[in-house]
Amino acid sequence: MRSAPLLSAVVLGVALSARASAAPAAPPPLPSEHLTVERLPAKTAHWVYVFDEAFINEIDSRVHLFDGDTYRRLGQIDAGFGGSVNESPDGTNTVVATTYFARGSRGTRTDVVEFTDNATLAPTREIVLPSKRAMTVPNVFNVAYSADGHFVYVAYITPAASFGVLDPAHGAVLGEIDTAGCALVIPSGPKRVSSLCESGRLLTVTLDATGHEVARAMSAPFFDADADPVFVQGIPTTQGYTFLSFLGEVHEIDFSGAQPVFAPVWSLVDAAEKGKWRPGAMQVGAIHKSLKRLYVPMHAGGEGTHKDGGTEIWVFDLATHRRLARWPMHLGGSARVMAVQVSQDDAPLLFAATDSSDVAVLDALSGHVKHLEKHLGQTPWLMLNP
Amino acid sequence: MRSLDHLFEASSRTLARRTSRRSLLAVFGQFLTGAALLPLLPVDRGSRAWAADAKPKPDDPQSCEYWRYCAIDGFLCSCCGGTSTSCPPGTAPSPITWIGTCHNPGDGRDYIVSYNDCCGKTSCGNCQCNRNEREKPTYRPSRNNDLNWCMANADANYHCSVSVILGVAEKK
Repeated sequence: MRSAPLLSAVVLGVALSARASAAPAAPPPLPSEHLTVERLPAKTAHWVYVFDEAFINEIDSRVHLFDGDTYRRLGQIDAGFGGSVNESPDGTNTVVATTYFARGSRGTRTDVVEFTDNATLAPTREIVLPSKRAMTVPNVFNVAYSADGHFVYVAYITPAASFGVLDPAHGAVLGEIDTAGCALVIPSGPKRVSSLCESGRLLTVTLDATGHEVARAMSAPFFDADADPVFVQGIPTTQGYTFLSFLGEVHEIDFSGAQPVFAPVWSLVDAAEKGKWRPGAMQVGAIHKSLKRLYVPMHAGGEGTHKDGGTEIWVFDLATHRRLARWPMHLGGSARVMAVQVSQDDAPLLFAATDSSDVAVLDALSGHVKHLEKHLGQTPWLMLNP
Repeated sequence: MRSLDHLFEASSRTLARRTSRRSLLAVFGQFLTGAALLPLLPVDRGSRAWAADAKPKPDDPQSCEYWRYCAIDGFLCSCCGGTSTSCPPGTAPSPITWIGTCHNPGDGRDYIVSYNDCCGKTSCGNCQCNRNEREKPTYRPSRNNDLNWCMANADANYHCSVSVILGVAEKK
């Protein structure tokens, strides 16, 4: 019966042939592509600008734009050598005050203020400064807009202290104002600038429409730089800024009038905690204005630990001064919180940047850690959410 | 340690005068005069080695816990080709500095220490160290380690920091 295997082979061959003819055709080749430049999606309340000092290679600091909902990095703004960054009052522009050296790491120094359109992340204008820019750690008072956006102020430290007044619309430096014994630029209203003084006072300079000084006044002392200095990292509030002291005193200052008004001082710590628990970070607090909640990175430590980051975030009600929560931060190993920021919407996110270069995204109402973005730069020390 | 601060009351007053632009040259003159008597100091910012994490290594110049680094902030020049009192080759010391007061456990004395920056090259990146004993914010620059003290150098880039003993801090 040799014909049986032959028949089987024929049948199998026909079957295979039929099967082959029924197989789908090979997929078409991928279409050719066109290189484009990504456009930013519509801004949300959960975007945050994360300033990275890039301390290991400081000539290359930058700002990362990060989306707290999608956990995507949306883009970058370059910030030169140890730059300082802030946002325009309407949130449409980022301003960076920085320094470049003609040969990268050396050579002729150029201090400059650069503006970036937040809709495109493209630079739009620059203003060259005298070589006096305060080269210091990030702080919203190194460079700042007036409330109406018509002026930009830049802190100068040579180490003589003064500040520059700039006209961003016309790209001009309008002048320089001495602030003897006082430093940094705390803007209020359209034409006022205050500075923190070694004497524990606030110096407030009032400008005219051309950016020149027309008046100055010193406040009464509100802190003691020897006994309990205030951090220079002020926290924006509805009417001004709140300053924390090394020992945890809370100085709420209303800058809405011609001169600053000081609210009664209260404390983050009770008598048993004082001197043992304290605030510490590079950006040492954040406030949700409508919820009236204050978030502070806290740690157990003594004198000299004011830049040690927080092992916990403490949450306070600004209306009652009551502590609402202590949130221990378990953000990987021994990571400490070096900067905090909170979105201002009604489903707020709390951002916590660590000394491990990560940024945690938390539910600002519960403290639940929703995401840990790894290595968002090297040294993320300041976050802004205009 | 407030008594130690009295030692620097006079220098603080000098610094308080530094703010006038017109007096800047005079101020620098005073700084430099001070520098002739006491070497000048350094700069810098945040980091990985924190005060609360410090473990006793008080005699190692390449350790953040070295006693004289009590208010240093930056990269230790000892790890960058220099020493605790010398800048790495090809860099330039800053003529202006901040100061600290550190306790030497070896002899039980407190010393005034000048933290000069070494300038003109990009960040060393090695042995980052941030300690802040008696360190003060920017409004008291003579005690502030957040500033880039290379600011007045011809090449203002920051490379690393040293700690130079200026003298014994006498207790009142």
